[in-house]
Order: sequence, then C-alpha cells, then structure tokens
Amino acid sequence: MVPERRRPPEASSKSSSSMMSESPRNLKPGLPFIPFDSTNLWCGDGHGRSFLEFSPPLVTQSNGLFGPDRETKSKNQHEPSPVMDWNPRLMLSNLSFLEQKIHQVQDIVRSIISREDQFLDQANELAAQQQLVTADLTYIIIQLISTAGTLLPDIKNALLSTNPAVGRPGSNQKQHEIVPVEVAKASQHDSLIKDLNSCGGKEDGLIKCSNNSGVEASEPIPIEDPDTKDNDDGMDGENLPPGSYEVLQLEEEEILAPHTHFCLICGKGFKRDANLRMHMRGHGDEYKSPAALAKPSKEASIEPQPIRRYSCPFVGCKRNKEHKKFQPLKTMLCVKNHYKRSHCDKSYTCSRCKTKKFSIIADLKTHEKHCGRDKWICSCGTTFSRKDKLFGHVALFQGHAPAIPMDDAKVLVTSDKAQVSEASSGMPGNTTGYNFSGNTSLDAQTPDIKGVDDGHGCFSPMILDACNIWGLTEFPHSAYEVSESTFSFLATGSCNSIQRNGEN
Amino acid sequence: MKRAHQQHRHQPSDAILAALSVDLLIQILERVDDPRDRKAWRLVCRDFLRAEALHRRALRVLRLEALPGLLRHYAACLDLLDLSACPGLGDHALAAALFAEAGSWRLKSVSLSRASGVGWRGLAALAAACPRLESVDLSHCVGVGDREAAALAAAEGLRMLRLDKCLRVTDVGLAKLAVGCPALENLRIKWCLEISDIGIELLAKKCRDLRVLDISYLKITNSSVKSISSLGKLEVLSMVGCSNIDDEGLQFLSDGSNSLRSIDVSRCDNVTASGLTSVIEGHICLQKLNVGDCFPELAPLFLSKLNGLKDSLTVLILDGFQVSASSLKIIGVNCKNLSEIGLGKCKWVTDEGISELVAGCVNLISIDLTCCHMLTDKALMAIGEQCKKLVCLRLESCNLITHRGLEHIGTGCPSLEEIDLTDCPVTDTAMKYLSRCSELMILKLGLCDKISSEGLVHIASNCKNLYELDLYRCIEVTDDGLAAIATGCSKLQKFNLCYCTQITDRGMKHLSCLEDLRDLELRGLHHVTSLGVTSIAIGCRRLTELDLKRCNLVDNVGLCALAQYTGNLRQINISYCPVSSMGLYKLLGTLKCLQDVKLVHLTHVPVERLELALRAYGGQLKKLKLFIGLRDLLSPWLIQMLQARRCRIRWVDKPLVFSP
Repeated sequence: MVPERRRPPEASSKSSSSMMSESPRNLKPGLPFIPFDSTNLWCGDGHGRSFLEFSPPLVTQSNGLFGPDRETKSKNQHEPSPVMDWNPRLMLSNLSFLEQKIHQVQDIVRSIISREDQFLDQANELAAQQQLVTADLTYIIIQLISTAGTLLPDIKNALLSTNPAVGRPGSNQKQHEIVPVEVAKASQHDSLIKDLNSCGGKEDGLIKCSNNSGVEASEPIPIEDPDTKDNDDGMDGENLPPGSYEVLQLEEEEILAPHTHFCLICGKGFKRDANLRMHMRGHGDEYKSPAALAKPSKEASIEPQPIRRYSCPFVGCKRNKEHKKFQPLKTMLCVKNHYKRSHCDKSYTCSRCKTKKFSIIADLKTHEKHCGRDKWICSCGTTFSRKDKLFGHVALFQGHAPAIPMDDAKVLVTSDKAQVSEASSGMPGNTTGYNFSGNTSLDAQTPDIKGVDDGHGCFSPMILDACNIWGLTEFPHSAYEVSESTFSFLATGSCNSIQRNGEN
Repeated sequence: MKRAHQQHRHQPSDAILAALSVDLLIQILERVDDPRDRKAWRLVCRDFLRAEALHRRALRVLRLEALPGLLRHYAACLDLLDLSACPGLGDHALAAALFAEAGSWRLKSVSLSRASGVGWRGLAALAAACPRLESVDLSHCVGVGDREAAALAAAEGLRMLRLDKCLRVTDVGLAKLAVGCPALENLRIKWCLEISDIGIELLAKKCRDLRVLDISYLKITNSSVKSISSLGKLEVLSMVGCSNIDDEGLQFLSDGSNSLRSIDVSRCDNVTASGLTSVIEGHICLQKLNVGDCFPELAPLFLSKLNGLKDSLTVLILDGFQVSASSLKIIGVNCKNLSEIGLGKCKWVTDEGISELVAGCVNLISIDLTCCHMLTDKALMAIGEQCKKLVCLRLESCNLITHRGLEHIGTGCPSLEEIDLTDCPVTDTAMKYLSRCSELMILKLGLCDKISSEGLVHIASNCKNLYELDLYRCIEVTDDGLAAIATGCSKLQKFNLCYCTQITDRGMKHLSCLEDLRDLELRGLHHVTSLGVTSIAIGCRRLTELDLKRCNLVDNVGLCALAQYTGNLRQINISYCPVSSMGLYKLLGTLKCLQDVKLVHLTHVPVERLELALRAYGGQLKKLKLFIGLRDLLSPWLIQMLQARRCRIRWVDKPLVFSP
C-alpha cells in the first residue's frame, strides 16, 4: 500500500528532468493512480460505509469523493452509467501512462548499456541507475495490477446489486479495511497487492512475489495505523501456537517509511490515519461528514479480527518467520522499533558521553535523561544510576558501603596519616620526620597526597576522588622510581610533618 | 572532707602514702560525692591528685584551653569525655589532644554535642585513637554530614550514637554507619531531615541489634515502619511528628515481632485510634505510650484496648485530646500501674475526671495538667488524697486553683519534687502549704503576681533542695525574699527574676551567696546597678547564662566584673544596657567561652567600636543578636568572617523603645 504511494514521487523526482518529459500532473505525487484501487482499498471503509449500506448510488458518490479535483470531466462521464464503476477513459490514460513509463525505463536501460564502459569506474552510479530501474519496474507492476484491480470491484458491485446477500458481512470471512469484494477475488486481489508490497524495491522480491502470490493469500494489507495496533495490544500474543495467527512481513522501505498515510489529493504524508482524516477536511465539505471523520476500524472490529503478527524482513533474525524459534512481533510499532534497533545504523549519538549510539531518537532521549548520572557509587567501585539500586547492592553484600564520591578517600588517608603519627609517636627519638625510604604502598601514596596538602589537612578532592572510586588503595606505586621520587617526597613530606607536629 | 584537707596539708606526701595506699585513697574518694569536695581533694597534694586521676572515669571540659592539660592528666582511666561545652574545639585541637596520648585511650563514650567545630578529620582521629569507643553524641552539630558519618563508621564497636539535628546526614551517611557499626543498639537520628525510607531500610537490614531508635520528624513513610518492624530487639521507638506515617504503617508493628516497650507517635497527624489499636494488640508488654497531639478524640476501641496493657502500661501521654470524665474513669480502672499521665492541653478535663483517674491510678508519679482550664481545687484535693507518691505536678494556666487545693498537695504529696504553677492565681498562703514538700526541686511561679517575699520565706524555710526557681514577673517579690532564698536554698542553680522590678542591688548581694547558680535572668530590673552585677559576678563564679536585658543601670563596671570573675559565661544578653565600648571590649576580650551574645540597641557603643569588639573576640561565637540597622553599617567582611566561623547572626527589627 504504502510503497505505491511513496515510490512514484521519489522515482519520478529522481529520474525526472533529464530523462523524460512528463506532464506536470504526473509529477504530482500519487495523483494519477488514485482512481482505481486505492480509494476502494483503504479509504473506502475509512469513510464509514458499512457493507450493508453499500449501494450503487453511494458508490458513485463516494467514488467521486476520492478525486474531486482530479476529474471533473470523468465525473461527468460517470453519470450516465452509475452502475459501471470503472472508467474506460481513465483506464486508457493509465495504460498510456504505463506505456510512457515503460519507455522511460527502456531509455534508462539503453543509456546504461551505452555507457557500460564508463560505469566500470563509477560503480556507485551504476548501482544508482540499477536501483532506479528496479524502482520503476516495481512501480509499473503495481500500476498494472491496480489498474486491473479496478475491474474487480465492479464485478463485485454488480453481484451485490443483484444478490446483496453474498456481500453480507456475516458471510464474509475477510473482514477488514478493504472494500468488500467477493471473497475469492478479494483475497486474490489482496495477495497480489500484498506480494507487491512485500517485494518492495528489491529485485529478489520480484521473484518472490511471483512465487508466493497464491500462498500467503490470506493476508490483507495492513493499515499502518497506530489505531489498529490498539486491537493487537489487547491480545496476548506471546504464546500463540504457530498456526493460530497470520504472519505479515513488511519490507524495509515500508518499515522505514516516515509516513504511512497519504492524502489522495495533495499527496501529503501522515503518520496517523486520524491526522490524515483531519487533513482531508480541508479538501472539501464532503470530508467533514461524521461518517468521513469516523475511525475506520471501529466497524470492522465488529467481526473477530484474525490474530495478526509481524515478521522482521531480516533473514536470520529471530523475529524473521524463517527462524526456527520464530518470535513474531506484536504490532507494527514493534516492527519499526525492532528493525531500527537491530538492523539499522545507530545514527544518534549521545551528546554527553559521546559513546552511546541509538537508532531511535526516543531511545537517545531516554538515555540522555540518565547519562552521566551514575553518581551512586559503592565502595567496591560499582556505580549505579539510582540510589535504591545502590542501597539494594549494599544490603546484599557484606562490608560494602556507599562511597561518598569525593571524601571517602580523604577519610582513608587521614586514618593512614593517623597511623603514621601513631607510629612516629611510638618512636620517641624520631621527631625530624618520617622515614620514607623503606616504605611501601603507604608512603607512595601518602607523600604524594601531602604534595597537594595545603598544610591544613585539606586535600585536593580530585586526586583522592580517583584514588577512592577506583579502589586504588593499592596505588600504582610501581610507577614511582624508589631512587629519586621517594627522596623528593622525603623533602616535602618531612617538611610537612614537622609543620604538623608544630601545629599539634 | 575539708577537715581531711586541712589535716594533710602540712604533712609530706610520702607520709600519707605510707599511711594510706592508693587503693585506700581511691576507696575514700569513692565516698566523696560533692564536686566541690572533690576539688578540695585534688588540692591536697600530688598523691591525692594522682589518686583522683586514677579514679576519675568521666570528664567534662568547660574551657577549651584546659583540654590538652586535662587529657594529659586523665587520659589513662577516662571512660567518658564530654566536650559539649567546647564549641571552639576544632579538628586539629581534637586530633592533637588524642594523638598526644595515643595508645592509652580507654574512652568508651564521647559527647561532642553542639561542638560544631569538629569535622570528619577530628572524628576519624577519634575513631582511630579510641578502639573501645561505644557511644558518641553528635547531636545538634548541624554541620555534621555524610563525611563525618563515614569517619565515625570506622569505630566498629559503636553501640550508641546520637545524631539529632545533624542536618546534612543523608541516606549515604546512615548507610556508612549501618555498615561500619553493625553493633549499634541505640541510634537517634531525630531531625536528620535528609534521611529517607531507603536509608532506614538498609539500617534495619544491617543493624539487627537496635534497641532504641529515634526517627522523629523524618520524612519517612510507611515502608520505613515496615523495615523497622523486622528489628526483633527493638524496645523503644520514637517517631514524633512523622506526618507521612499513618495507620497503615502502624499495622506493620501489629504482629509483635519486636519486643517494643515504648512507642512515641505524638504529633503524627495521620495516625488515628485504629493504628494505635493495632500497635497495642501486637505488644501486650507496652510500657510507654505517647500519642499526644495525634488525633483529637479518644475512640472507645482504643480505650478498651488499653485494658490489654493494664499490667504493663506505666506512661500514657494524651496531650491535646478531648478526654471526657468517662474516658479517664476507664483509664483509671484499666491501668492500675500507671505512673505518669500527660493531659496537657486537654481542655475538657474536669475535676470529676481527675477524681476518677486518681481513684484507680494510685501509683501516679507524674501528672501533667497544663492548660486544663476547668480544673479547680477539687481535682487537687483528689490528687492529694490518692497520689501519695507524686513527684511531678504541672498545673500551668489552671486558672481556678487556689491555695486550698495546694494545701491538699502539700499535705498529701510529701515527695513532690517539681511543681509548675505558672500563671495560676496562687498566694503566699499556697507557698506556706507547698513548703511542706521538703523535696521540692523545681518551683515555677511565673506570672503569679500575688506571690511576695513572704511566700518565698516559707519556701526557703523548708525546701533545701530547690534547684530551679522561676519568679518571672512576680512583681511583689522584694530583696527580703531573695535574702531568704539565698540562705535557705543554697543549691539553687536556675533562677529567673525577670521583671521583678522591686529588686535592688541589695537583693543581688544576697544572691551572690548562691555559689551553684548557673543560669540567672535579671531582665528588666531597673533598680539593679553595676554594683549588684559585680557582687553576682564575684559570688556566682559558675554562672554560664546571664540575662541583663533592659537593666538600665548596668554599665561598664558590671561588665568588667563579669569579664573578670565569671570565666565560664556562655550566654549573655546585654541588650538595651547603657554599656559603652570599653565594657564591651573587656567582656568580649576576656571571656573565652561565650557562645551566645545579644547586643541589641547598645546606644552607647558606636558602630566602629562594636565592629572592633566583635573582631577582637577570640572564642567561638555561635549566636549573635544585633539590631537590623547595623546590617549595612557593619563591614561585610566582619559579617562574612563571623558566618564563616559558624556564627549565626539574628537581626532584630525592633525599634528602640525605652521601657518605663
């Protein structure tokens, strides 16, 4: 659904100017393709039409709603045959557009062939051209199918009008946001569209599409509407038996698409269907009716929804349906977050720590709230961002205590100092200073600290901080060359100690 | 003792030791109780001094400068060291004093209450020097925080710790202590406002031996009570003013898993009768129950539950309740062993109720009836007839009682030690009856303007043990009354004479006989001159607090005498006194112990002189009261310096009005 809307503008804007001359109308995103499927496919229900109300006059009217600015002339043509829902002229214009498009692709391929040798050293340009071709081809296929798809509802409508019982919701197993069609055809149609979606812009997807077409037919196109995910949230999908739910796998482009709902008139994209509906009001009074503004899924949910789960398109991922222990994702939002987190570049870097990276901006914001707040430190060196976590840790381990970030080392040093003083007072003759020469770790640390001692026992917090937090009671004294540095310490250290004795 | 002193003075000390060995000297010394006699003992000779040093277990240091010498002398045997009167004591001084005798310390208990100069370095030195430390009092050291707690946590054997109003102690500091001192039995962390549930939870997990815990006024919630309830040995729990704790929290105490004997939940706004009921259910051995100012009305359920405690309950405080006569009857019937009851501000207490109560509780020792306005002599009669063991009776603002009621007290309660009659219409006759209580130690007669010297003569004639006397605004009291008190009540330590305007220098002369006087308030005595103050200064050398506010005749001479003689003076108020800068210089320059000085409206002292005097002060000022107009006139440097030295300046905004 989405890629169809999204692709054309991209493709055309990329390839546009130099390659082909299109009518400006075609450059307008999304516009030319609206008439047929998509309106019926996903907006039809959006206008609150229940299946029971579904009647030919309404159809024409609502059909008209979807492209009011587009075709005033086609509207006129509609009138004579209200039952006939598809417009031959429109079909013709679409086909001719397709033709044009095919030519355009042909041109590109030709140009590739002609400049093949040049591309040898410009691999990336070639890749870009290839991508363009792929995109265009995908686009053409989608158009083709959707053009053909317009025929389907008409048959359906014809059937409905003759035998309304067929189309009753009760008899329709596939109760979803698609305009009710005759069951078999609807599912066919769906599967076509779906497979197209799933192949997205990838080349191998094209093959897959043809292979899978009938197999996964049961899956309707999801409406990537956060509103619908509410339904999912209600269910506990965690221990669902493998067969009890449908698996839907969206492609990368679809997952990463910034907007999933597009205005059929101006092409503006929205993240939420509700926002789109609000937006639509600006396009005319017909969008302001309560029916048009109503939430589409409400009526659909009268019928039990098939349980739907999502698969990650990344093969080998546990969330991919091919995986042995496949764990499906619950909602579209989960898919998006999972895919971005697991399989995308982490482009958002935390501005504080400069190390943590995130692919989702919300994750970054969450992290930034707590980044650098690991202020709760245990005496064992473990840091915590929350006080209660630290206290839980302290309660758990014998002898651990919260560290006071700067001061713990000071206490430690003071007690060391006390020991030194005690020792010295035990040696009555030794008043001229402490004998550092034969000492080990204690001196290596103490004199160093005395170096920054301002004579009042007030130590620089920075050094001690480091000492304490990282548990450097075993100060790296190996770094000190005993020969020279201890003597230099001796000078300052003894000096200080004399001062201190005097004070005392 | 004095005789012994006389006897030995003239003999060589060797001879004494030959006759009396050190053991015997110590045994004799053990029988000497009065500190003045002990002082005489010390002065006899060196051997006596040495014997005293070996015998002494406790030491309270009054002046900082004496500390090193005292410690050198007493270090070896001291168990208790009280440094609470030394606010100027700093880390270095403490550490130096401790290091000087390092290795020989047997100290078990150290009080540093209000010694706000001691920081973490001093405490670390203390913990390192005194391995046997069991008890530390750091209450009201507002600067004490986590660092100090961490330093103290090095004292592993700590069993008792008071941290009341150590405002900067947080959960981290508490956790340090809980981890470092697992043997803690008695912990008081009242007013440590930074401590939260998390800290209490850890404390309860680490210090399983806690018996006494004071968590008053903390911002803790029910979950703290839950953790506390797991302390099996807990006996005393104080949680005054914990308004976040409600009945749900008290439910945690209902299972009786701890051996709670005393609980104080007064001023816990959200506690009601049902919560207390659950506490009572869980602890049938509860002895003390303080529920003052919690909820206004006594629920019948609560009263009936008291029945379950009838044998054990001894203290019941019901301040601020609406207690009906029937309630008091139930209490009287159920709680036969009640020794103390608090009914302060229970406005609706009637004579009938008190009669019912005391009929049951004959063992009452202490009765608080403050502000029970409806009580008359009948209640006192009932008390006098029933409570023969009464020791303490508080009747402040009981406006209807007269001397007739006190007659029953005087005859019925011979062991009365404390009575508060502030603002009661009692007369000299009442004093005559009260004087029969020869054990009386505390007598409060503030605002009893009918009391005259005659009444004081009665008191002085029989109450030899009087320790505190409050005569605030007893305007009829004259010098003759003081003469009687000075001769009769020689142990008086606290004396309030504020606004007893008939007092003159002659009265001061009499007061100077009271050697033990510590706290003297002479506010508004406008007949007292410097001469009177001088005689006080010479006579009462132990004076620590003196209030001379609005003594309009006290000038420099008085201050000079104070400076010269009362070296232990800690608080002085000379606001509105006509002293000049010379007196102020002398006062602030000489006295080293001053902590709290009030110098409002010293009109004879120019600003620059005041500044100079304040700069010259060498001790540790903690509080200073000055007129607000000086805030901009004094140099900011001075104010900054004072504040840096932990002095709190209170600026008074009262205009200068000369009282008549």
